[in-house]
Amino acid sequence: MESMVEVRGLSKTFDGSTYILKDIDLSIARNEVVAILGPSGTGKSTLLRCLNYLCEPTAGSVRVGAVTVDAARHMGSEVRALRRQSAMVFQSYNLFKNKTAKENVMEALVTVQRKPRAEAEAIALRLLEKVGMLDRKDFYPAKMSGGQQQRVGIARALAVSPNVLLFDEPTSALDPELVGEVLNTIRQLAEEGTSTMLLVTHEIRFARSVASRVLFMDGGHIAADGTPEQIIDSPENPRLRQFLNFVSK
Amino acid sequence: MKFSWEYFFATFPLIAEKLPVTLSLTLISAGFSLALGTAMALVNYYRVPVLAQCLKAWSSFIRGTPAVTQMFFFYYGLATVSALVLNMSPLVAVAVVMSLNMSAFVAESVRAALISVDEGQKEAALSLGMSSFQMITRIVIPQAVRVALPPLFNDMINLFKMSSLAFLVGIRDVMGASRIESAASFRFFECYAIVMVIYWGCTIVLTFLQRRLEKRCNAIYE
Ligand SMILES: Nc1ncnc2c1ncn2[C@@H]1O[C@H](COP(=O)(O)OP(=O)(O)O)[C@@H](O)[C@H]1O
Ligand SMILES: [Mg+2]
Repeated sequence: MESMVEVRGLSKTFDGSTYILKDIDLSIARNEVVAILGPSGTGKSTLLRCLNYLCEPTAGSVRVGAVTVDAARHMGSEVRALRRQSAMVFQSYNLFKNKTAKENVMEALVTVQRKPRAEAEAIALRLLEKVGMLDRKDFYPAKMSGGQQQRVGIARALAVSPNVLLFDEPTSALDPELVGEVLNTIRQLAEEGTSTMLLVTHEIRFARSVASRVLFMDGGHIAADGTPEQIIDSPENPRLRQFLNFVSK
Repeated sequence: MKFSWEYFFATFPLIAEKLPVTLSLTLISAGFSLALGTAMALVNYYRVPVLAQCLKAWSSFIRGTPAVTQMFFFYYGLATVSALVLNMSPLVAVAVVMSLNMSAFVAESVRAALISVDEGQKEAALSLGMSSFQMITRIVIPQAVRVALPPLFNDMINLFKMSSLAFLVGIRDVMGASRIESAASFRFFECYAIVMVIYWGCTIVLTFLQRRLEKRCNAIYE
């Protein structure tokens, strides 16, 4: 079966000299749940953001679903087509502050997919129910806790029926007591087995239990790639061992 | 000469009746400065090459010189080289200077409001496949308007006070009228007290409206 995400020779430098991503090749199968681990500053967010061109790669090609964009020659319309293949859940939620929970979820359905409002609303209500936020549907982000905002953020991402869901440290900004509700929502999605997910996280135990594959990034490379058992239970790479020791303390 | 309350109250209506001149100058310049200032802010926001740098210099020039000198420079200075300015009616000339002056301040208020909308929300919009036009019109501008309204209202209050410059080119606004009355009666204290009270009273009303607006703007989205 053809892969869902295909990255070839991906490199990124912001200043022209230090490479944050160094010639990365990566292939992700449909419905794979991939956890990405690694010390901070190693390019995990940059990799995710290259997949939807929030960050423009310096070189290489990215394919998500049926859309391929090559850094050497790309057009605005291709980038928008690529972005419609995925949806992102952000560390700082990034909900639209001028819209209620329901309107946040409806927004892309109406503007990008041009669905009629009634249909968009029905989808939004169904997804808010799924993430346990139906009773907050008319609340603005300012009136929601971090955990609630992030669950709406997940519903907003699901709304566009993306081929790939990108999670960039979705629980890092949350108070400890709110982390559980968001992880449970993500776990539920992972267990349904019908979404391809890339998840950057520092929650090692969570990654161990939901991911079907784990990547370890270090210094702009994918330094280790394997099953959760291989990567987390019996790590071979010394940098990976060091990292796991460090975060599990 | 003692302060005459009798004269004060008798003359008050004569001066206050020129308030429509002051207010129409303010309103007309408000319209032009808001439109021009917003356009300038957008040029800055989108970093339009060349134009953005030019507007920056222009804005520094406007904000770095007093409105009175701009008025004289325009009406008496430029008139020597431009037939357009020479043939301009004083009212139009004042409105032009007020609009140009205030547009630089409006541009700053609008610019600050536009950049107050965080990058994260814009990235969220783009990551969902929205166009930058959709992002600006549906996410950025609605929030920026809320942030911009109170400072813009402040700009308009300043514009109202600035309209008093009109007397310098012979317009009979409230300031011009009190000059004329006082020159005839030599009751300078009373006449200028009247005009102070008129400006102060109007500004109090405007400030009250601004407070209410500010409260409402802060309450939206909650
Ligand atoms: N917009 C940017 N401009 C310049 N440098 C950046 C930018 N974004 C990220 N970086 C740099 O790239 C490196 C990797 O960042 P990031 O991908 O956020 O790492 P991670 O998510 O693994 O913590 C960091 O050193 C960071 O300073
Ligand atoms: Mg990061």
